[in-house]
Amino acid sequence: MFLQQLVNGLIIGGIYAMIAVGYTMIYGVVQLINFAHGEIYMLGAFFAVTFISVLGLPFYAAFILSMACCAICGMLLDVVAYRPLRNSPRLAALITAIGMSIFLQNLAMIIWGSRPKPFPHGTVPAYFDNTAVTFGGVNLSWFHLFIFGLTLVMMIGLNLIIKKTRWGKAMRAVAQNKTMAALTGINVNRVITYTFALAGALGGAAGVMVGAYYNSLYPTMGYVAGVKAFAAAVLGGIGSVPGAMLGGVLLGVAEALGAGYLSSLYRDGISYAVMIIVIILIPAGLFGKLIKETKKSM
Amino acid sequence: MGRLSPQNLSRGDMIRIGLLILALILPFFPFVSDYILHITILIFLYMILALGLNIVPGFNGLLDLGYVGFFGIGAYTSGLLTVHFGLSYWVIIPLAFANGAIWGILLGAPTLRLTGDYFAIVTFGFSELVVLFLTNEIWLTRGPLGLPGIAPPSIDLTLFGGPKWEFAGELPYYYLAIVMVLVTVFVMYRIQDSRLGRAWFAIRDDEIAAVSCGINLLNYKVIAFAISAAFGAVGGSFFARWVTFLSPDMFKFWESFLILCMIVLGGMGNIWGVMIGAVVLVSLSEVLRELLPLLGLPVQVRFLAFGLIMVLMMRFRPAGIMPIPAVAAKMKAGRVKRKRGTAAAELKIGSTTGLNK
Amino acid sequence: MRNKRNFLFIGLALCFAVIFGMTSTVMAADTIRIGVASPFTGDLASYGDNIKAGVNLKLKEINDAGGINGKKVELVWGDDLCAPKEAGTVGAKFAADKSIVAVVGHLCSSATLAAMPIYVRAGMPTISPTSTNPTIGDVGKGWFFRNCYTDDYQGKYLAKEVVPKLLGKKKVAIFYENNDYAIGLKDSFVAGAKEAGIEVTGVEAYVAKTTDFTPQLTKLLTAKPEAIFLCGYHPEGALIAGQARKLGFNGPLFGADGIDNVDYIKIGGKATDNTYLTVPFLAQSAGPAGQAFAKSFKESAGRDVDWMSANAYDCLGILAQVIAKTGPDRKKIRDGLAALNSEATGYKGVTGLTYFDEKGNCAKPAFVKMVKDGKFVPAE
Repeated sequence: MFLQQLVNGLIIGGIYAMIAVGYTMIYGVVQLINFAHGEIYMLGAFFAVTFISVLGLPFYAAFILSMACCAICGMLLDVVAYRPLRNSPRLAALITAIGMSIFLQNLAMIIWGSRPKPFPHGTVPAYFDNTAVTFGGVNLSWFHLFIFGLTLVMMIGLNLIIKKTRWGKAMRAVAQNKTMAALTGINVNRVITYTFALAGALGGAAGVMVGAYYNSLYPTMGYVAGVKAFAAAVLGGIGSVPGAMLGGVLLGVAEALGAGYLSSLYRDGISYAVMIIVIILIPAGLFGKLIKETKKSM
Repeated sequence: MGRLSPQNLSRGDMIRIGLLILALILPFFPFVSDYILHITILIFLYMILALGLNIVPGFNGLLDLGYVGFFGIGAYTSGLLTVHFGLSYWVIIPLAFANGAIWGILLGAPTLRLTGDYFAIVTFGFSELVVLFLTNEIWLTRGPLGLPGIAPPSIDLTLFGGPKWEFAGELPYYYLAIVMVLVTVFVMYRIQDSRLGRAWFAIRDDEIAAVSCGINLLNYKVIAFAISAAFGAVGGSFFARWVTFLSPDMFKFWESFLILCMIVLGGMGNIWGVMIGAVVLVSLSEVLRELLPLLGLPVQVRFLAFGLIMVLMMRFRPAGIMPIPAVAAKMKAGRVKRKRGTAAAELKIGSTTGLNK
Repeated sequence: MRNKRNFLFIGLALCFAVIFGMTSTVMAADTIRIGVASPFTGDLASYGDNIKAGVNLKLKEINDAGGINGKKVELVWGDDLCAPKEAGTVGAKFAADKSIVAVVGHLCSSATLAAMPIYVRAGMPTISPTSTNPTIGDVGKGWFFRNCYTDDYQGKYLAKEVVPKLLGKKKVAIFYENNDYAIGLKDSFVAGAKEAGIEVTGVEAYVAKTTDFTPQLTKLLTAKPEAIFLCGYHPEGALIAGQARKLGFNGPLFGADGIDNVDYIKIGGKATDNTYLTVPFLAQSAGPAGQAFAKSFKESAGRDVDWMSANAYDCLGILAQVIAKTGPDRKKIRDGLAALNSEATGYKGVTGLTYFDEKGNCAKPAFVKMVKDGKFVPAE
């Protein structure tokens, strides 16, 4: 049972990690908790179902297209809602973020309805459900491997982008000091917008995977997932990408083991409790550095 | 609010007294049904809640996303004490106030040292934990089964040989709510003009300056948070005795959002504006409930509209429809800087040697 | 500044004017108005849809037949979002509107519990097609009636009849949703299981709108149950079915009326085969009246009939019969409903015979159906 619970936790954790990375990147660059990020994840799942059922695209094509659409949504979110408030007090940006989250959630409810939606039958590749590996009495399906693999590939890719490319360098520069970055010729707004796009694409990918894995989507799914991913980001140290990955996996495992051995009723509470305890005791998280209160924050 | 010129002051007072008289005689207009009284009581309840929440974002400039947690604590304090011990409502009010304040201190003391963002997220987590607790501890709260049969308040004069009069219908609640709003407003004005209030405004406007004037940031913030929580709990205690049924579902994040929305709309920090925010949003929900089906729109548009209000207010009138000069200046300061500072820098430097070409 | 303030007050005044205007619209006196309260939007809008389809069909039949004693019936919709606070507002609105003589609703038990004190105060007879929580009978103080069995009955029936006799199983795991409906159902099932000598190998809970149930299921399955009780609603039930199968559970699943929805099969797919459900209405097992109703429902609503629609259809039928006898007066309607208190005086509808005890509860037969090859069929 322990092994099975561990696998359960790792899968959920991998998904939390992918969403958490989005929170952490955006926080690192603009010091904003993007509450609407969970909604982008939800949109990703709905886009994929729509592409499959309306346009009749195969699963993988819908997956890629949905990631692209989420990237665009992320950019739009930044340009429309956050950019005008770039130098306003933080309170204003936070309130806008919550407003956008509520707005998007209800927009999705209007467009797709509030009933849970499955992927149309037979559109998710059939071999996903077949057993790939068995060890210690635990069956791993191809879908499990797919989720693990994709999470790993995206994380490594993301790290490479941030560490090795010019654009990643620009991102890090903006995160450190916007004014200095602008002086060295970096288009700060554009870097921020691209960061939102990247975060959106990752969130969208997570959304499609969750949607296909559990085969049920509803417009409020982004709310809980978003909060938990945020807790994961806090646990890892907000602003740190490897921290967010580790935080996500840890939180997923903690949740599965907590539900399995302690109380399934307080399963969601584990994330909130971890978040509060971490913030009170080690506000810097596992990997982050403490963010000083700036004068700008109101 | 034009408190400086005596002419304006009297004008403002006249409006206030006029509105109060209107509120007092409202139930006797022939067109006023129980439904309208019900809605008006709801407005008064949200006024109390919004005034309480206003202390944290409006007076101190901190974002509190977990206000509904205190509302829930107050409601269940009141409901459980009534159901199990049959306590009088007049005893419960101070108990609920104290219970809210205690939780406010317990949560605020360790977390108010942190940056505003972390504080916001901790309050959010706290309110979710409160809902989970109310849902799962069935032995105490009956959990999702709900807590029915909470007795309405009564005025008991038997001790002095008088009659015992139990609340029935909306009318007594209506006047009780008016009294509670008046008390809340009075307390808020007193706090605003006191040493405490001035310290808060100093913190809101410039923390570093406040510290250098010898203000203990943490203490003042914790006091603010505790008072805010206490008023939330008092609102909850009234709510429990009014609807006579409680269920954990009533205390979801949405309520926190709604109350925050009232403050943002009315004008953060402005007592008068916050109350108007409550009037507008509660009436708006009711109007939209009727109007949307007529237009063939789904009711989600109602919630969508609230989200949009928040975004648009922050974009175009960040200090609300009735702005407080200090808040407005602060919110505006950022914008001016944006236009002159970063944007200009980008224009000159970014266009020539942009990294992302 | 002054202009702005004036503008503000005009806006406020307009807001109020609209509210007042809405409530004081004068209604033609020759119609009988009945309120219908359900979640027509929000998360549970699909249930509200079922209610709407059911009462609309009955409404059409009544009005096509000339109405009640020559007066047409008119329905007033109240959207309570299945939220207690909204239900209170809807209740206050119905209670204040003197032209509304009775209410069909509310759908969710928690909504009914919140609205009931207002109805009792205003003296408004209420008949719910779906609120199964046993406590409502106590809060209703004689103004509440329901055309559905309570959770008590359903859970015991599952434990005493369905599990030992139909499934022939002795060891059962319970997986319940943490809400009023499922807790009541679970408790009565556990009580019934004790009497019937069925072993409960494990009890776990989940929260609505969760998508991942594997930690709890893993724990439940280690005790090797022969059947799993899906104690909750269909969106989660379908996911649980799928995940239980993925974890290697091949035994039967069973549940109650909350699972009964075509979406259960649509979302769960193949995994839902071998699921047994108790339902208050089953077209195939209903008499000729039920068969005819199922047929006309399919014609008007364009889908197969479900038990909520059938119950709602009968609720309006009961009200119509009572009003025809007593006239459109709240108090008299209540007395008329309370008079349906024995098998002889009961109402014969498509869901069988309905008569109320002093708390407004009714005894209704339960039917069992199952999922076979992706379709609901009567259980054999």
